[in-house]
Formats: sequence, C-alpha cells, structure tokens
Amino acid sequence: MSRANPHMRHFAKRLIVYETMENKSSATKPPAAFHVCEKLHAHMATFMGNAGFRALLARALVLATTEVPWLSAVQVKADGALEGLEELHTQLNPDELFEGGMVVLAQLLGLLVAFIGERLTFRLVSEVWPKFSLDEMESENRGNNENRGKNEKTK
Amino acid sequence: MAKPAKVKIHKLPTGVRGLDDILGGGIPEFSFNIIAGSPGCGKTTLAHQIVFANATQQKPALYFTVLGESVMKMLRYQQQFSFFDESRLGKDIRFINLSDVVLEKDLNAVLEEIIKQVKAVNPGIVVVDSFRTVVRRAMSGAGEAEMQSFIHRLAQFLTNWEATTFLVGEYDEAEIRDNPLFTMVDGIIWLSQVAERNSVLRKLQIIKLRGQASVPGLHTIRISADGLQAFSRTLGLTGEKMKLARHRRHSIGIPELDKMLGGGILEGDSLLVAGPSGTGKSALATQFIAEGIRKGEPGIMAIFEERPQGYTQRAGTFGLDLKAAIQKGTLETLYLRPLDLSVDETMQEILDAIKRIGAKRLVIDSLVGFEMALAPGFRADFRESLYRMIGALTGAGITILNTVEVEDTFTELAFSHYAISFLTDDIIRFRYVEIDGQLRKVMVVVKMRGGNHSKDIREYVITNKGVVVIHPRRTDYQGLITGIPQRTGPRRAQETEAAPEPKATK
Repeated sequence: MSRANPHMRHFAKRLIVYETMENKSSATKPPAAFHVCEKLHAHMATFMGNAGFRALLARALVLATTEVPWLSAVQVKADGALEGLEELHTQLNPDELFEGGMVVLAQLLGLLVAFIGERLTFRLVSEVWPKFSLDEMESENRGNNENRGKNEKTK
Repeated sequence: MAKPAKVKIHKLPTGVRGLDDILGGGIPEFSFNIIAGSPGCGKTTLAHQIVFANATQQKPALYFTVLGESVMKMLRYQQQFSFFDESRLGKDIRFINLSDVVLEKDLNAVLEEIIKQVKAVNPGIVVVDSFRTVVRRAMSGAGEAEMQSFIHRLAQFLTNWEATTFLVGEYDEAEIRDNPLFTMVDGIIWLSQVAERNSVLRKLQIIKLRGQASVPGLHTIRISADGLQAFSRTLGLTGEKMKLARHRRHSIGIPELDKMLGGGILEGDSLLVAGPSGTGKSALATQFIAEGIRKGEPGIMAIFEERPQGYTQRAGTFGLDLKAAIQKGTLETLYLRPLDLSVDETMQEILDAIKRIGAKRLVIDSLVGFEMALAPGFRADFRESLYRMIGALTGAGITILNTVEVEDTFTELAFSHYAISFLTDDIIRFRYVEIDGQLRKVMVVVKMRGGNHSKDIREYVITNKGVVVIHPRRTDYQGLITGIPQRTGPRRAQETEAAPEPKATK
C-alpha cells in the first residue's frame, strides 16, 4: 500500500525545495530528496539505530519503485545510505530524478506517519530543519481532518 | 553544638497515581533502580511515566533502548497514553539507541557510549530498556566478574553524575537471589501478572528500597489510557485524620427506626442491614441517603446489583428526589459491575467519589454484589480490604450503611454469610415471618456499639413512603425471629383478603 498520498507528496516537495534553497545545491545532482533522507538518517539513527532506519528506508524504496520503476536500480547500503544513483544521472532527465526522489521521500514520511503519527513525524522533521515551517502542513492536516469528519457525518 | 543535619534524600514523583504512597513518598533521588517483571506487565510504560513526570529541559531524561522493543514501536504505542506529550521529545526526553554498540562491541564500549551521552546531556533521569538484553549479549563474551564490574562502574558513574537510574528488564523471581544485579541496585520495583480463572491480575511489589520505608506487600495495578495506576494496600488512607468524638447522631429517615436506634446512627458508624431478598434493604438505604441530602450531608451510593436508574425511580415513588441531588452534585451513584475489578481499585473509586463531593454518608448496596464484581483472585482479599476501607472511612467520620443479603432459615437468625460483625458498629436484621397466614416483615436492631438500642422486634411495611415501621412490638406471638412464631395471645380482628401494605409502584 502506497504511503505517498498527496499530502505526503506535498510535504516531501516542500522539504526538497527547502533543502535545495538551504544548501544552494542542485535539486537534481544527486537529487536533493536523497540529501533529505541522509539528514533524516543521521538524526533518526540516534534513537532507532542504523538497522532500524535502514529497514524503514528500504521499505520506502520498495513502495516507491512500484510507482517509479527506475528506482529499482537504487539500493540501500548497509550503513543506510542510498547507492546506484550515479549511473542514472546520464539516463534520466532532471524532472524524472526529482520525481523519483520525491516519491521515495514521500513514502518514507508516509511510513513514519503510519507508525508514529503526524505530530511526532513533524516534530522529528522540525528537529532536523528547525526553521522549516510546518504551519502549512499542520493547517492542511487540520483541514483534511475536518473534511474527513464531515464526510463521516454525511455517510 | 547542634549535631550536623542528616542528608535529606529528595523523592521524585513517579507520575503513577498511588505509587508514590506505596514507595513512601516517591523514588529516592540519585538512586539506581531496577524495574523488573515478566513481559506485558507494564515495565516500559512505568519507565515512561517516570520520565514524563520528571524530565525538564535543564535536567532531561535519557532513554537508552537496547534491542528489545524498537523505538518506533515504543513511540507508536506509548503515545496512546494521556501522559505522553510528544512536544517534549528531543528536548526534555531523548531516546538513544544502543543496539549497534551492544551488537558490535563489548561492555566497555557500551559503558563508554552511555558515559559520553550522559556527559553531553547531563540528565536527571536515565533509563536503560532493556538492561537484560545488554547483560545477555555481554555475557556471551564476558565473565560474571566482568559483568559485575560493568554494573558497578555504571551505577557509580550515574549516581555521581546525579542521575536517578532505572534499568528495565525481564526477570524471574528466582533470579533475585542469585543475580548480583539485585544486590547492587538501591530499589527493585517488581511487576507481575497472574491469570486467575478468566481474569488477569496485575500486581506491583517494592521488593527493596534503600533509604526509606515503602508499603510492603503486593499492590494491584491497572493499565488504562492514563498509563499505570497503583492501588496501595493501605488505600492511601494511613495519613487520614481520625475523628475521635462521635456525639452526633444521623437520622436514618424513618422516625420509628431512629427511636429504635436510640436517636439515629452515630456519626462515623458502619451499619449493616441484613435480610433476605425483597425485605427493603435498598429502600432503607435510599431513605438513609435522601435524609442526609435533606440535611445537607452529601452522599455516595455504591451500587453493585441494581441499576442507578432503578434506584432513582424507586426513590421517586417514595417522594424522594435523588435526580435533583445528583444534578446538584450532592449525590453520586457509582454503578460498579465489571467482573474483573480488584477490591482496591473499587474502593479507590468510592474514596475518589467521597473526596469529590465531600460525602458524609455512604451506602454500599450490597456486599454480596461487591464481592461478585471482583475478579476471582481478589475475592479472597475482600474481607481484609473491606475492613481497611471501612475502618479508615468511619475513622474519618463518614457514616456507612452496608446491605447484605442473607437467606432466612427457620432455625437461626443469621446476620451474614461473612464473618463481618467486626466490620460493623450496628446491625439491623430484616426477616420474613408468617403471621396469620401472611408473609410479613419484621426488623430488629441486633447491635449498636455506641449505645443502647431498642430490643423490640417491630413489624414494618414498604409503602409509597418507603420503609415504615408499624405497630408497637407484638406481644401476642412468641418465636418471631424463627420466622414461624407461635401465637400466645388473642387473634386480632382483621380483614382476611386485603394485603397489609399498599405496594410501591414503579
């Protein structure tokens, strides 16, 4: 089951854009989404261990591959880093690379939300990127919840 | 010259309701403790509650996890509890995973990593969950002496670093004697769960606590949405003020019965109303509570058999408006019927309600229903716990009316199938008697600890006013208490077909 719903995709896109701006780096070489994953890895491995993060990222990658087939060339290394990107740079255009990275990140964030909930996931993200504004995500989330509530009432 | 002051050991709150009382005030600061027990007893939840109750930004809590439950799962499940506040994670409360170090390195590396993190964070609380896993893994490559040395160095470092430590682990009770860890720690909090027929009971015991007196024995615990709650065997009542003077008498709401009682029940008495089904015990209890409310004495009705609605409806037929009292907050009805209650938590519910509304009167209707509502494993403790609660409440000036159903026999006048007369100051016995071809009801005051009382056996009826005592004592019959009296006087003229009492309508 895909965890990359539109809400998580939007979240992932915003994080990638933020990370790109922060580091003034290219959004594609290697994809900034993978930078985001790396930063999350460094932070989360402290409390969930390398193996824990590696398992989570591997699951996100498998889920993302069903949607973006070229990701099958990407692997999660024993230390939790992603490998196999170098060759893909020559074969894919920047938009494809961005999309693939974004889907992996959206799946990863979606998995986190499924396990520990949105509030804790947002908290983890804000610990890594303290200046990244989560207000939009939270208000969007509130809106989604309200709509969900309304829909349930009308059922 | 005055003696130098002894060291004052500060006590940390556990965040677990009832546990601080059991511990003798809380967890001693800087102590090195173990939270042990079998799986599913609530060890990790207890550790989290302690952490959330004490961690601050200045003195955070460090929670080391090792191989056992993954942090993701821990966070997933622990956030369901009301004490869990995710906004405090990362600041006041930090999780550190030691699994990689434990798996790949030796005990020295584990100790070094803990020291490194503790020095960096300067925590007030340190938890290692599960410590058992650290030991198991380490023992595969180290001897017992090395293990002891590790524990010793760890304890010494953490205590000197002014941290209060909790090692969480799964242990068997048999290990307490042989495992040196249990000798080295300052405190042992032991959690267990026992299946008793279809019920599971969770218990907590403070096996060891250096520096302060804890309440000995096994205490019931329950895990709810608020986390663990502990129910001390003393019900936290040991510090309650005792009222020694007992001069006031409480009206029971039935003038003739008040007279029989020598003017009413003494304040702080425990009254037992015993009788078979249908003799009006609950009606009398309702009148007792309603009379209290009328006089400005709030009341609690702990009901174990009938539904509260039935109670208020019946009271309405007697002209007693209990609904208004409930709305006003001067009466609470507690309807307690789950079949796996522990006696202590039931009593805690009653005590909470008493404190909530400042109750002066309490009805327990009935003791038989109360016992039935308990998990089978707790029934053995019923009398002991009841004794503690009644003793403490009456000592605090609360007047209690207990009802108990007894079967009428024609050879004796039993008061109860429990040997509970030691619990009660006063006993009123209801019973059926056969008189003039009718099944009538009589009552007698059997015992009043605080004073003289009427020895009359009086007939009563239940009307639309409730229990009403009728006729002076009968002198035309002998053997009324047997239920099959012998006529000794002339027959009174009476209509044969009319019922002697108008039945109360629902």
